[in-house]
Order: sequence, then C-alpha cells, then structure tokens
Amino acid sequence: MTRTTQVLPPLAVLLIALFAVAIGSSFMPLDRVVAALFGAGSRADGIILWNIRLPRVLLAALAGAALAVAGMLLQRATRNPLAAPSVLGIVDGAAVGVLVFFLLFSNEANALVVSVNWQPLAAAIGALVFATIVGVLAYQDAVSPMRLLLYGVALAALANAIVVLMIIAGPVFRASQALIWLAGSVHTADWREVGILSLAWLVALPVLVLMIRPLDQLRLDDQSAASTGLNVARTRVFALLLSVLMTATAVSVVGGIGFVGLIAPHAARLLYGTNAAPQMLGAACLGAGMVMGADLLVRAAFQPLEVPAGAVTALIGAPYFIYLLIRQSSTHA
Amino acid sequence: MRIVWIGGLCTCLVLAGLGLHLGVRTYTPLQVWAALMHGGEDTATIIIRDLRVPRMALATVIGAALGLSGLLMQSVTRNPIAEPGLLGVNAGAAFAVVLLITLAPGASFTAMALAAALGALTAAALVFGLAYSAGGGLSPIQLLLAGVTVAALLIAAMQVLIILNETVLEELLFWLSGSFADRPLTGLWAAIAGLAVGAGLALALSGALDVLQTDDATAESLGVPVVRLRFGLLAVAALLAGLSVALAGPVAFLGLVAPHLARLAGAQRHRELIPLSLLFGVFLGLAADLMARFILYPTEAPVSAVMALVGVPLLVALLRRNRLRLA
Repeated sequence: MTRTTQVLPPLAVLLIALFAVAIGSSFMPLDRVVAALFGAGSRADGIILWNIRLPRVLLAALAGAALAVAGMLLQRATRNPLAAPSVLGIVDGAAVGVLVFFLLFSNEANALVVSVNWQPLAAAIGALVFATIVGVLAYQDAVSPMRLLLYGVALAALANAIVVLMIIAGPVFRASQALIWLAGSVHTADWREVGILSLAWLVALPVLVLMIRPLDQLRLDDQSAASTGLNVARTRVFALLLSVLMTATAVSVVGGIGFVGLIAPHAARLLYGTNAAPQMLGAACLGAGMVMGADLLVRAAFQPLEVPAGAVTALIGAPYFIYLLIRQSSTHA
Repeated sequence: MRIVWIGGLCTCLVLAGLGLHLGVRTYTPLQVWAALMHGGEDTATIIIRDLRVPRMALATVIGAALGLSGLLMQSVTRNPIAEPGLLGVNAGAAFAVVLLITLAPGASFTAMALAAALGALTAAALVFGLAYSAGGGLSPIQLLLAGVTVAALLIAAMQVLIILNETVLEELLFWLSGSFADRPLTGLWAAIAGLAVGAGLALALSGALDVLQTDDATAESLGVPVVRLRFGLLAVAALLAGLSVALAGPVAFLGLVAPHLARLAGAQRHRELIPLSLLFGVFLGLAADLMARFILYPTEAPVSAVMALVGVPLLVALLRRNRLRLA
C-alpha cells in the first residue's frame, strides 16, 4: 500500500463530514458554516447548524466508529472474518432489549416512567442475553467459526420475531417510534444522544488502548499466543464483551445500522495492515465515514423523505459480504 | 406409517374445525353448522363463512406448498437447512411484488403472482448460482449465509421503496409480515393447480430424488440427469414459494420444519417424504394460523413470527444434532 492510498480515506471522511454539515433541506456554503460555527453567522444558520446538523453528523460519526471497532474486536476474537454484530444477532438482541424496556416502563398514557437515558442499558442487556446464548451454543459445539455465524442467524431470526410480536402487542405510539428506530436512522439526533455515545467512547477508549497488545498476540494460534504470556480465553471473552457493549450502545441510539461492523474493519485491514493499532484507527475512521456518508446520501437523494441510513449500509454491505463469502469458500474449499 | 397418516389427517381435521370455532369470538358447533349449511347475513355467519373458511383454505394450501418447496430445496441440494424463507427466495418474491406496485399501482392479482414467481426464481437463481460459482460449491452453512444476506439486501431495498411510496404501499405492510387472514382468494385455484402439478412432478421423480441423496457421481452413473433434475426442481420449489408469497406474504420456517417432521415420523424414501411433507405443511399452516389468533389475543399476530418461534429452536436443534455435513 502506498502512502497516498493510506492518506486518502481519512481525507475523504473529513470531506464527507464537511458536506454532511453543509447539505440538508437548505444548502449552506462553507463560509456560512464556518461563520455559524463560531457564532458569527445569521441566527437561522446558527440554529440549523447547532441544533440539527452538528448533532446529526457527530452522532453518525460516533456510532459508525463504535460499530466498526466492535466489528473488528469480534472478528479478532472469533478469528472469523465474516463475524459482524448484525450477523451474530447482537443487533436484534439489542432491539428486543429496547422494546422490553418500552413495554415495561410505559404507563397507561404511553409516557415513559423512567428516564429515557436508561435505554442504552436495556439495549446492552438484550444484546448480552442474545450474545450469551449464541456464545454458549457455539462453545458447546467446539466453536467452529461458521457454526457461530449460523447460531447467530438463527437467534437473530428469533429476536426478530419477538420484536415483530412486541411491536404489534405494544401501544401504537411506541410502535411507530420503535419502527423508525429499528430501521437505523440518525435523523432524530440531538445532543443528549451525542452525549450518551461520547460518554461510552470515553469509557471505551482507555480499555481499547490496553487491548491493542493482546489483540496483536491473539493473531497467533492459541498455543503460540499462550506462550507469549497471554491468557487466550480471558482475552477473547473480554474482547467479545467489549464488542457487545459497544454495539449495544451504538444500536440503542441509532438503531439497526447493519454491515458497518463487517466492512469497515475489512477495508481497514486492506489499507493499514494487520497490526491492531492502525487497523483500529482506520476502522473507526472508515466506520464513521460510512454512516455519515450513508446519512448524507439519504438526505441528499430522498429529501424530504426520511429513508433510514441503515438501508443504504445494507445495500452496500450485503453484496460485499457475499463477495467475502465466495472468496473464502474458494480459498478454503 | 399408516398410524402417522391417520393421526396426521385427524389432527389436521380437528385443527381446521377448531379454526372455524375459535378466534376473537368463539362460536358453538351448532352456530358453525348453521352458518355453513344455511347461510344468512348475521354476524356469526359472515365471520365464519367469509372470514374463517377462506383463511382455513389459505392456510391449508400455503402450508402444503411451502412444505413441498422446503423438501425439494433440501433434497436437491442435500442441505438439511435449506428453506425458501432462510434462502432469500421469499424476499425475492416480496421485493418483486413491492417493485411492481411501485411502478404500476393497482396491478391485478395475476400480475402480482407473476411478479412474485419471477422474483422468487431470480432470487433462487442468484443464491444457488452464487453457491455453484464459488469453486466446489458452497457448504450448507455458506449457502445459508448467502441466502440470509441476499434477503437482507432485498429487505433493505424494499424498505427504501416503501418509504418512497408510502401511500400506495400502506396496504402491503400487513401482507409483508405474512398472514392468512383477510387475504383475497383470487388466486387460490391457481395455487391449488400449481401445487398439484408440483407435487405430481415431484412424486414422478421421487426415485431419482432418492438416488440423488447419495452423491452426484453415483447418481450420474445410475442414469440420473443430476444437473437438469436439480435446477428443474429448484425452479419448481421457487415457483411454489413465489405463489405462496403472492397469496399470503412471506412466511419463513414452515418449509424448514415440515420436511423434518416428515423425517421424524419415519419417512425415508421420497415416495413417502413428499406426501408427508405436504401433510405436515398443512398441519403447520393450520396450527400457526390458530396460534396467530391467540398469541397476542385479541390482536392478530403475523404467521411468520409465530412460525419463527417454532422454527428457530428446531434450526438450533438441527445444528447441534448429527454435526451434519455442514462446514
């Protein structure tokens, strides 16, 4: 990989971020963006920028980066390049958690009786429950990577059915809320949600830095990794746990934006090599770019309709997954 | 085997009878008898004759069609987890119908059924084509992953279409979750005819299907045209799934469960497997339709979600048992 191909993607992501701030229901040229950013522009510009565009772009970036890094942890822990949060049932599990939360803590007037800030916790619990079931089933089966994916597919289908039933059984108001959220969208972004994800990142960041060395050791086979002084089993479980928690937090805020956790780590490995530190940085950057770009695309192409960004990432991600599947089967056949 | 048949048929009859009596309103056998025999325009008669009888007929036909479709997919690919829902064939049919209604609002049922058939065929060709283009063919697990991913792709595309064209497609939302209730019966006779042709064809080829269960080389040497048989019957399976989708929306897992119940009941050769899969398909269709009325009582639940609650544990059990020839 030459230097230019490594530098271009981050620059492109930056450009996407700029466009994402400038483009919306009304176009804002760059000079007005900068002016509004420093409080010097018109009042309308300032409100659009600070109340609508900035939280939306930041939320997309934070969520995309979290999903991408979670995907990378998952792929390293399972040594399976096809593992991704959306394939393993974690995303649907988080959805079940959130719907149970809505169902349990709504009063007759359909208002939440507890703070909505607990929603990420509910998502995390749902994701953890389903991830644990998948993990236990696969573990008893002597963890073949492919089998792990299959259990993920099966449990995701189950979670999906539960979600459908709960949406129908629940109050109508909650149902429409849940449907929008499920499809994966950042168009309702506000600073509270940005705050939740920022907080999650603040907690995750030091842990991720500490994980870099073990993640590099984990690239060896189990015996060699153990001989470098690594507790392989514990590292794996820890990486999986971290991955589930990061996915759940992101999903609880932006909904089911799929395939980012699959593609971003892959592309990052192609661009920046297999060392954990550069791959993680690259994946975070590319993941942020993917979700920001998907959101930008649906805003620019379908305004004023709110097509979920998750549909775009799926339309791009699914063919890529099939390509990986075929390549893998032809090399390992 | 005779006991299985008698028991199965009796159970289906009982389920069909219960389906006429039970629901949001429960009727006595006398009321049902009167409604069926004497007609009239009172509420009970209208509900029983115009709502419950049609959905019973639909559940029977769709259940049988999906059971056969699943069995054919499993047999010709020697893949115990093949099924129109999991392999993206249902999603292909549903996508084609949504696309048709977006482009030509108010399309007739015939056009919808044709679109569904075409979509199912295309999706099947895509998924199985991918499987065979990957050198040496995909393992069952990889085939399933390819199918699930193709389905995810089509569902995302459908989402976009629906949001772009909300008013026209509002009616489709309920159909998209799969249900036997409140569906027009326009195409029921066509579906019965298609089912009969498909079942007849499969039965006529049952000997070849038995031989195909060994491996391709053996089957070829015994004079079975493996490639033609495989693609021909896959097309039949896809068409059956497409017809089901046009009538009742995408229903997953029924096609997975029915053939496995048939095997559990002791059927091994296709001469027995085919009729038994049809029978268990009918049983599952009727049972799921009944459960759909009560699982969220008094709201109607989509059949597909009900089937997933039954089908997923079976899929997990299948994955755990016999290590299959999966990976």
